[in-house]
Amino acid sequence: MQKIVLETVGLTKRFGNVTPLDGIDMQVREGEWVAIMGPSGSGKTTMLNILSCLDTLSEGKYILDGIDTSQVSEKERVVVRREKIGLVFQQFHLVPYLTALENVMLAQYYHGMIDRDDAIEVLNRVGLSHRYDHLPSQLSGGEQQRVCIARALINQPAIILADEPTGNLDESNEQIILDFFKELHAEGRTIVLVTHNPELAEFADRTVRLHHGKVVQHAA
Amino acid sequence: MFLLMLRQSFFRGRRRKLLATSTIILAASLITALMTISIDVGDKMSREMKSYGANLNLVPKSENLPLEIGGVDYNPLKGEVFLEEQDLGKMKEIFWHNNIAGYAPFLKVPAKLEGEGGAAVPLVGTYFSRLVKFAGNEEFRTGVREINPFWQVKGNWPDDGRTDQVLAGATLAHKLGLKAGDRLTVRYALAPTQPEAVTVTGILTTGGAEEAALVAPLALAQRISGHTGKVQSASVSALTVPEDRLSRKARRGADSLDSLEYDRWYCTAYVSSIAHQLEEAIPSAAARPIWQVAASEGTVVNKIQLLMVVVTIAAFIASGLGISSLMVTTIMERSREIGLMKALGAADWEVYLLFLSESALVGLIGGLIGCGAGALLAQLIGLSIFGSTVSFHPIVIPVNVVISILIALAGSLVPSRLITRLFPAEVLHGRK
Repeated sequence: MQKIVLETVGLTKRFGNVTPLDGIDMQVREGEWVAIMGPSGSGKTTMLNILSCLDTLSEGKYILDGIDTSQVSEKERVVVRREKIGLVFQQFHLVPYLTALENVMLAQYYHGMIDRDDAIEVLNRVGLSHRYDHLPSQLSGGEQQRVCIARALINQPAIILADEPTGNLDESNEQIILDFFKELHAEGRTIVLVTHNPELAEFADRTVRLHHGKVVQHAA
Repeated sequence: MFLLMLRQSFFRGRRRKLLATSTIILAASLITALMTISIDVGDKMSREMKSYGANLNLVPKSENLPLEIGGVDYNPLKGEVFLEEQDLGKMKEIFWHNNIAGYAPFLKVPAKLEGEGGAAVPLVGTYFSRLVKFAGNEEFRTGVREINPFWQVKGNWPDDGRTDQVLAGATLAHKLGLKAGDRLTVRYALAPTQPEAVTVTGILTTGGAEEAALVAPLALAQRISGHTGKVQSASVSALTVPEDRLSRKARRGADSLDSLEYDRWYCTAYVSSIAHQLEEAIPSAAARPIWQVAASEGTVVNKIQLLMVVVTIAAFIASGLGISSLMVTTIMERSREIGLMKALGAADWEVYLLFLSESALVGLIGGLIGCGAGALLAQLIGLSIFGSTVSFHPIVIPVNVVISILIALAGSLVPSRLITRLFPAEVLHGRK
């Protein structure tokens, strides 16, 4: 049995009278690919923000790689974020004035150690060996998303959290990104992916469906 | 990586950076100009104030006890004790000899005019504009024309080398109906000496007692009275620094200063320390500072410097506010980038560092350009106000660059607190 990388116990988030997440219990094991699905307003994004330590929870527990993040300070949460999590965004979010290579190295810089060769290797892996020195504005959407994935991978995170990674891509690029996720999964990476896209969720080991902030279905 | 980011991000938002740099350039050039003038204003004002006349009076030591009641001088030795004319050159041998801008000796003797009913007139002997030698072969032009530029003559100035030319004071000329070109015969009133035939070369207006006298080259007054080589007093115009606490303390006497204070006072061109050194050089003389002139120099310089400080602070605040509003816009525009850095694990201080470094760089560039512009502005101000260029002190450059960086940082400090309030979850999902 693989160890539990991510675990939430009664995870609740409140904004005033609104409760976008209400008592979520979830476990993700090492090497597992879990898709979180649900209609708009079901709490997917709030869930991903809390899982990626970009937001705090109101009640319950969130344990990531053995660290109870609900008990740590803001400063320690920053450390957890850079040490344990690789983030992939729907809108890519690359620094516009840095090249593809520099964007990957930026994640290394905040992690504490810059290694240009490592960064080049990861970019080669995502098929951008010829695009190191290009600025995001000179790359296609699919290429930008690949830089974003390379950046998420560079620090060997405990978990990759992806928010609609194919949401802004055309079909051919969507397929490329999907293939990457399959490849990463085959390598034994732990992936949690938030998506609307049933095709993307199809390849996950499990799907967690949210509705009105509650888990309505755990499906294999 | 940090330097790379700084370099790359610095060239983003060029229009805003250009605006911020221009704000700093404006402030820095103003501050540089004011600072340059402020450093030089003491010297400039000192030279300006010279046009108001001498600031030191040299009299024989025995005459140094004032005995003046109700405006009448009862000193029994008044006019009876003398200084040696040749001793006056020693003024140019003191520590502050370069600050002695000029001097004029005076010998006032009673005289009578032949004819005209034998009118009694005072005859004042002085240097008009005479080349004197000192310390060997050095020459120096001095006299009332040098130290009292406000003396006006209708006609011509007499030649210092001749003993047959005089100026008639305006009041006397009016009373006796004298005009330029008139010939007079003058003789000493107290003893029978050889009368001297003189020509009035011009009518003198001074606003002082000289207007009721005949003013002649010193040699004539000495010859007519028999006081060869003697003078009664000398007015000295010295370039001095404004009075301050130390010089005011020294007014109570050099003994009131401790050795450190004494050294500092002696080596500063205060009117009192120059007076002290003149007395050392000419032991038979007492040097009396004319405090009205010395004090007004200090007051004017202090007021000008205060005005400059106020304008500098205003420039500082105005440009700080300008930078501040530009910084707010920058942070709001780059909020996604800030959110991303935080999401990737950047601590707040790391984001601060990037933004404040950009501001410091703007301050550095603006400060350096502002220094150049300010130096030019200072010359323009110097030329238009004082009629001469202002000397540029290199110390102004580092001081100004530091001030410019501080302005940029101070202006950025408050807006950069917005960085703390930007939550990556909100900005990355477009909620802010």
